[in-house]
Amino acid sequence: MAHFLKPWSILSARSSRTEHADQCFQSQNCIRSPECFVQENFGRQEQHLEQHYNDVLQTLSQRYDDRETGLQEEKKSKLESLYKQLVACGQALDTSKELIETAQEVYRCQDERLFLKVAQLGLLRDFFFLEFAKEDIDLSLSTSLEFSTPLADLSDVKTMMDSINVVPAPSAPVINPQLPNSATQTSLHVCWSLFSDDTVEYYELYYRPVLEDTPADSTCVKVKETHCTVTDLLHNAQYELWVTATNTTGISPASEKALYMTVPSPPAIKQRECSSCPEAALIRWESGNTNPVDSYIVELSETGTVGAESNITESIVAVPTCQCLIQLQAGRQYLISVRAVNIGGPSDRSDAITISTTGTFFYLLEDTAHPCLSMSEDGFTIFYGDEELCVAILGDLIPVRGRHYWEVEVDDETEFRVGVAYEDTERDGYLGANGSSWCMRHIRTPSRHKYEFLHNGWSPDLRITVHPVRIGVALDYDRGTLSFFNANLEQHLHTFHCRFHNYVHPCFSLDNPGALTVHNGIQAPDYTFI
Amino acid sequence: MALTQVSSNKCAGGFQKVFEHDSTELKCKMKFAIYLPPKAETDKCPVLYWLSGLTCTEQNFITKAGSQLAAAEHGIIIVAPDTSPRGCNIEGEDESWDFGTGAGFYVNATQDPWKTNYRMYSYVTEELPKLINANFSTDPDRMSISGHSMGGHGALICALKNPGKYKAVSAFAPICNPVQCPWGQKAFTGYLGADRSAWEAYDATVLAASYSGPQLDILIDQGRDDQFLSASQLLPDNLIAVCSEKKIPVVFRLQPGYDHSYFFIYSFINDHIKHHAKYLNA
Repeated sequence: MAHFLKPWSILSARSSRTEHADQCFQSQNCIRSPECFVQENFGRQEQHLEQHYNDVLQTLSQRYDDRETGLQEEKKSKLESLYKQLVACGQALDTSKELIETAQEVYRCQDERLFLKVAQLGLLRDFFFLEFAKEDIDLSLSTSLEFSTPLADLSDVKTMMDSINVVPAPSAPVINPQLPNSATQTSLHVCWSLFSDDTVEYYELYYRPVLEDTPADSTCVKVKETHCTVTDLLHNAQYELWVTATNTTGISPASEKALYMTVPSPPAIKQRECSSCPEAALIRWESGNTNPVDSYIVELSETGTVGAESNITESIVAVPTCQCLIQLQAGRQYLISVRAVNIGGPSDRSDAITISTTGTFFYLLEDTAHPCLSMSEDGFTIFYGDEELCVAILGDLIPVRGRHYWEVEVDDETEFRVGVAYEDTERDGYLGANGSSWCMRHIRTPSRHKYEFLHNGWSPDLRITVHPVRIGVALDYDRGTLSFFNANLEQHLHTFHCRFHNYVHPCFSLDNPGALTVHNGIQAPDYTFI
Repeated sequence: MALTQVSSNKCAGGFQKVFEHDSTELKCKMKFAIYLPPKAETDKCPVLYWLSGLTCTEQNFITKAGSQLAAAEHGIIIVAPDTSPRGCNIEGEDESWDFGTGAGFYVNATQDPWKTNYRMYSYVTEELPKLINANFSTDPDRMSISGHSMGGHGALICALKNPGKYKAVSAFAPICNPVQCPWGQKAFTGYLGADRSAWEAYDATVLAASYSGPQLDILIDQGRDDQFLSASQLLPDNLIAVCSEKKIPVVFRLQPGYDHSYFFIYSFINDHIKHHAKYLNA
């Protein structure tokens, strides 16, 4: 075993040289200087060497043990065998001795009669012979006194010794999990590291998108560094990546497969589905991605009441669905945008929407409009061309209790109904004819104007001397009132008192050919909520 | 202009008082009721003048109408004068309930024996406001007027004849067109003589037809089961027609089941005070 110690002495000789390099290394401030590389490479070599020699030594030691054990066993078995033989011989001798004694006794016997008897039994001789013949004493040794020395198969040790001089193929690298904020919509930044201090010439990174049914083909990128940015990817998509390391000896096994995800595309805010009031805004958007995302982030900044950039930014994270009701402060203006988020990180910001918290603002719900009703392009004027029908449309009032105010512009001739209704109000019925809607109705006769304030088909009896062309509607959920005003004159017309058990929608209908226009986002005048 | 307090009762956090004074216009002692809301202790408050109807005194409104809570809530002083001079010993003044005592019709009489004392128009529009402003914590620029029946007629004509003086006006079952109804014809004949042109100066429907001044906003409540409505004493349709024509903003509400009594006033007084508050507190 002594000659195997040699490699150790080589190592110890080298260690003194490392001290110098060590000092150089310590004196640097962790800057990657050439000394550092020497130190590192040296370290790798040293470790590699140590590893190899250790392996060889261990293997030889193992063989020695095996061989020795083998010899011991052989010895044991030979001895046993010989011992058995000896015992057998001993027994044979004893048996023979008995026979001889018996024969001698018979011979010494003086009794002639007995001798005759025995002679008659001429078998005696045969008996002895048989007895002796039985014991075919093998006096040759049962086992050889020599030990066999089979050829030791040290071919693998030889290979190992040879390979000391050869750089091994690298082991499988370790691919890192996805770092936050390292991905974009179309690219992923992947990092990996070496499992041990292998020498590597280059790496090959493989990636493929994770598809639902058949596995996709993978793409391969050759890089020298331990990181790579892959581009030209799909947004909001999952990719499977693995990496191999190659040197002159060969290719390492593949690393474990890592799953990375590209960030989503930004959402698109649906302008016509957003509404607001002095205390809040309801924002709705489209995801912007065909596959689901994890959540959304809504970001808002105040642009200031006098246009000065105050940039107070607020973020609402972990929004699970494509809408968000945000609490705001009255009389301000905000810019609101949305991002989609998955494990790869957040998308870019969507285009921003401007929300003004002066008054209550809502769009008309086009899909609630009677088919005979048409709408202006800005979505705030409705037109009706036929006779005899009550054609209505609802407004998308933000579902927030409190006070809301809007105005309706009408002309002298149009017969209309304006008011509020529960969402599930009968769409075939007339506004105000049932218990789920309240409205002011204008009827035109040749001689005069008539007005009704309808709920459950009943109206008080009123006369109004000046026809309102701009009607203010004030809704107060907490007080349970719905009031109507001639906004131009600041004249109160009528108030319904009702406890609204659910949210209501503004409703507008035309009873004869004509038009009306909705104005909102107006701060409620003081007199409307005395 | 000395005032003597006749009574004082705490009410709705404020005080309902009655005062007496010597009236220079009416040449006799006159009482009036005044409600002072809690706010009057610290601030100058606007004043609502309430004119009562036939046969009433300063007591009816303050005991039956239930106005004090709303007045307290909105911080409004309510002054309710008597409906005619009292104790003048004019011959015939007590003969009818709809002429003479308790039936001043808020005119300045030109005929004898009424012209010396029966100057309710000047009393209400000149003497009383001066007296109130001098003796109580009022904002002299903010006053409004309202009334019932004959008092409704009084409120309407005071507002129409004094553009800009009253910030708001409302009425309960007013006599809208006195020159066309029995009550008005009887009273005007007695106080103003036979010349109908003199009557027109005190007729709301006529005055509305020629009104020019700051925009008005008139609230009128009328009981549908009011016997005087069906007796054609009140004639609101005439006023409405003229106001529609002349674009004077009126909201006229016909209240089903209600009659001419103070129960009717009680039921809607809050709406009226709120209507006045909108303009008085603006």
